[in-house]
Amino acid sequence: MDLPGSPRIRVEDGAVRCSGSWTIHRVGRVERALRRLTWPEGVALVVDASAVGTMDTAGAWLLERTARRLERSGRPVTLRFRPEHEALLGIVTSSGVVAAPPRPRERAPFLSTLGRWAWSSARDAVRLVTFLGEIGVAAARARTGPLRVRSRQVLEHVQTAGFEALPTAALLSFFIGIVLAFQGSTLLRPFGAGILVADLVGLAMVRELSPILTALIVAGRSGSAYAAQLGAMKMSGEIDSLRAVGLSPSEVLVLPRIAALVLVVPLLTVAADVLGVAGAMLVARSELAMSSGEFLGRVAREIHASSYLLGVCKAPVFGAIVAVVGCYQGLQVADDADSVGRRTTGAVVQSMFFVVLADAFVLVVSRQLGI
Amino acid sequence: MAPTVPSAPEPVIAARDVHTRVGADVVHAGVTLDVHRGRIFALAGPSGCGKTLLLREVLALHVPDSGSIRVLGREVVGIGHEEALELRRRCGVVFERGALFSSLTVAENVSLPLRERSRLGRRVRDELAAMKIALVGLPASAGLKYPSQLSGGMRRRAALARAIALDPELLLLDEPSAGLDPSSGREFEELVRHLNDVLGLTVFVVTRDLGLLWNLADHVAFLAGGQIVAAGTMAEVSRSDAPVVRAYFPGTRGGPAGARR
Repeated sequence: MDLPGSPRIRVEDGAVRCSGSWTIHRVGRVERALRRLTWPEGVALVVDASAVGTMDTAGAWLLERTARRLERSGRPVTLRFRPEHEALLGIVTSSGVVAAPPRPRERAPFLSTLGRWAWSSARDAVRLVTFLGEIGVAAARARTGPLRVRSRQVLEHVQTAGFEALPTAALLSFFIGIVLAFQGSTLLRPFGAGILVADLVGLAMVRELSPILTALIVAGRSGSAYAAQLGAMKMSGEIDSLRAVGLSPSEVLVLPRIAALVLVVPLLTVAADVLGVAGAMLVARSELAMSSGEFLGRVAREIHASSYLLGVCKAPVFGAIVAVVGCYQGLQVADDADSVGRRTTGAVVQSMFFVVLADAFVLVVSRQLGI
Repeated sequence: MAPTVPSAPEPVIAARDVHTRVGADVVHAGVTLDVHRGRIFALAGPSGCGKTLLLREVLALHVPDSGSIRVLGREVVGIGHEEALELRRRCGVVFERGALFSSLTVAENVSLPLRERSRLGRRVRDELAAMKIALVGLPASAGLKYPSQLSGGMRRRAALARAIALDPELLLLDEPSAGLDPSSGREFEELVRHLNDVLGLTVFVVTRDLGLLWNLADHVAFLAGGQIVAAGTMAEVSRSDAPVVRAYFPGTRGGPAGARR
């Protein structure tokens, strides 16, 4: 089906005739027709484009490259253009382009990918350690004193990373408490040990789940946000202008965020402890007919202060990990939009990795010490 | 694009009595201007007078409160989504910061519109992109680089190559010489002039660059206080008695003498 003005090319009376409008939006179909075209007999060819209505550089290029290809195979070609299209041919030939430069290989061989990955991971690790050192130096040198870092900014971050995360953290741990208690009670009731649900949920929440869940939420909410904020600041040159006015980005941007998360994660953990146990208590009442007093008494008797403190003491470490990794990833953003996405993902994934690693380490040590 | 209808009487851009408010500020209070086919039209004026906003309105990226803007024979105030896309396909734009896609190479940036808007094969698209890159005076090797690896002037050229990828009828430039050193700025002017000559492009350029106003623009309009206070050739505009224009071009009455770079 030919629309009016569709570009056409056909062989008539030993000459190649082009007509229609040879513009970028339409020449796609002629390109395909050209590949299938049977060229007329004889050596010299005439390609007559004088019947072409409108033409742009794409149309002119298509004719030019066809002519060039035929000439390479030993058939001289005469191109006939309308006078107003001659200029286009001039542009196309004067550009000096014969063929597109080869695209770089899109897929590197496996070994080289592996090597690159290993090398960049190693460099990343070294940079992360360097970054930790810089923060240490910044903290020691901070004009406000190492322990009184920009309280106003810290409080702002406490508000966004802590207070605003409270509903999410509370709700999540409440439901985790409910789920654990349900699973525990179906497992323990046949043995007449339903009462142990209090120990199970209490210990699991207080020692492990609350700090980990809180760190997970904070990494997803704030770690990613820090990476994106610092990344955008790096791209727009704000980080450099901070340096230029004699301020250290580590001191002004990174330390307040670390301080905020170190403060906030333990507080959220305590809230998660309370809500998790409350969720379990609700289940114990409906499933095991335990009164709240009985349940709480059991929790208070069986869960030692050391377990509780262990959980709460892990929390600031997790907070520091999330903040350090988030800020580090943000400052590694390069000049393209892709790297912001990559680094934000990296902030969450890497901080979770380190949080779990740290947790495993604490577990081993605490078992050795018998806490 | 070849001048298919060389004597088209209708201006490429015709703005009539355009009023725009942004928040509580009145930015345009009755802007009227005509841009004729094949000409280089420069819109000058102090910072914050709404020049870029007018450029965005021409592209239907911002809707004025009242008035009419006809672009390439089509009313853009109240234009539908599909028609706006269709219209923008016929226009090439270089925004002030270049706005190249940072995760694509220059060649990929230029061939992106070709891939989306034409049904040409990959090889022809790559060749066309290489041709546009050569046309704006970039070396072929620049095509394989990422925007962050280029200097400001080269990035501006690459943005121009992307803008002319589809052979637009109208080229819109926002502050093309901002941030360029005088010699790169001059080269860029020559490039725009060359494209205007060979492709018959109509150019609408928003600028504060005196050199560009004197050397490149066929027609200059001066926007201040929400209205066009002076229009004509640069020499005519510089002779204007309007106080804002006098403050803007001190000592350049009738000639580029003091202002020339």
